[in-house]
Amino acid sequence: MKTVINEQNRRNFAAQVESMLHDKLAKCYQCGKCSAGCPVNFEMDYTPNQIIKMTELGMEDKVLSSKTIWLCVSCNTCSTRCPKGFEVTGIMDVLREIAEKKGIVSKVEKEVQMFHEVFLDNVKSNGRIFELELVGKYKLKTRHLFRDMFLAPKMLEKGKLKMHGEKIAGLNQIAKIFKDFE
Amino acid sequence: MKLAYYPGCSLKGTSFEYEVSLLKILEVLNMEIKEIPDWNCCGASAAHSINHNLSVALPARNLAIAEKDGYESVLAPCAACSNRLKNADYELKNDDILKKKITDSLEMPYNAEMSINNMLEFLIGVVGKDKIKSMVKKPLSGIKVASYYGCLLVRPPKVMQFDDPENPVTMDELVALTGAEPVDYSFKTECCGAINSLSKPDVVMALTGNILYDIKKNGADLVVVACPLCHSNLDVRQREIERKYDEKLGLPVLFITELLGLSFGIDPKDLAIDGHMVAADRVLKKIKELTNQQ
Repeated sequence: MKTVINEQNRRNFAAQVESMLHDKLAKCYQCGKCSAGCPVNFEMDYTPNQIIKMTELGMEDKVLSSKTIWLCVSCNTCSTRCPKGFEVTGIMDVLREIAEKKGIVSKVEKEVQMFHEVFLDNVKSNGRIFELELVGKYKLKTRHLFRDMFLAPKMLEKGKLKMHGEKIAGLNQIAKIFKDFE
Repeated sequence: MKLAYYPGCSLKGTSFEYEVSLLKILEVLNMEIKEIPDWNCCGASAAHSINHNLSVALPARNLAIAEKDGYESVLAPCAACSNRLKNADYELKNDDILKKKITDSLEMPYNAEMSINNMLEFLIGVVGKDKIKSMVKKPLSGIKVASYYGCLLVRPPKVMQFDDPENPVTMDELVALTGAEPVDYSFKTECCGAINSLSKPDVVMALTGNILYDIKKNGADLVVVACPLCHSNLDVRQREIERKYDEKLGLPVLFITELLGLSFGIDPKDLAIDGHMVAADRVLKKIKELTNQQ
């Protein structure tokens, strides 16, 4: 792997991550306990401890376009077990947020990213999640129209899929929250 | 004590059984909870995944409303909601700069003095074991129950401050109160794949399959959960998992509130147990036969 990194860029990236994370990358001594217990490690391109080291080394492009940051399910097993108390789950949130703000779309895991975006759009327009609309919009966006459709008839029969969503009265407050922080 | 209730989106939709059974057992226990007026979605995993400020601001609006209305305690039965509410509360307590930013945006103060409870904390801490035990009219002796905790009830421990993050026992204690036999197994706190259910179904089925087959191997009649997302993955995706791994499971997945309700002698229909995808008929029949013998 040939990666040439400008020292100033390396420092900037590491500092940006550390300030958003409220934690120090140097805490990690690469024991790999986080990666050993990670339930989705089998799907990742880089293990969580590799992601931490790569961030410290300023390998911004590789980290931000990795599968790992989107595959992480935030189960917090890693952070709970970390002998140094490093925010392993937290760094995944930070890296996803940086990727999202930079408009970097994960090539392989774009569906996870799209799901989060569609989810927040749904909160923005209703104040609450309207599940049927959420699933519909997600399917249109990913073009996986028929995946999971076989579940729908029985879910409808059981009353699990509500046909109407509710909008909250304080939608203007929700709009303000999104305006301030989006 | 005034008790606020934060239902969250799932309890009003795909996991309506959780709300129906919760309200039913509280009626029997003669306890009152009040829905936080005009509550909004906590932002769930999506918000903290791509926008940290939103992941604090969205739950904070609900907490600030509850606090303004004079509540001392909030019940969030959904494990994800309780996790996000506790997380927002923790950050607002520990980060003054963030707190100012959030309360300015909400245009509401927040003093972070309420206790926020997940379902299990509420049942053990607010309702109390003695009261629950006194309501058990039809002990479920002879039924083997596996408690599945998942991630969000116990992790991260510094924020959740609840039970043991690797080997929690609270739900097993509640199971024991009903007279049923708690089943020990290895995957109590392994992740089910959570929010990636729609975006990475294959990964979710692999993770959930591990959990369900281990429960089956250890001889449980049914599984209890206290999280709508765990329930969706374990229940809704179970048929597909059976097909994928070509091995029958047939494990009904009940909410802890439903199991308590059954031991209180409440009709399964009033607990919405027929709302699950995996039919609980065989277990319900077994419970009926066992309780008739008593």
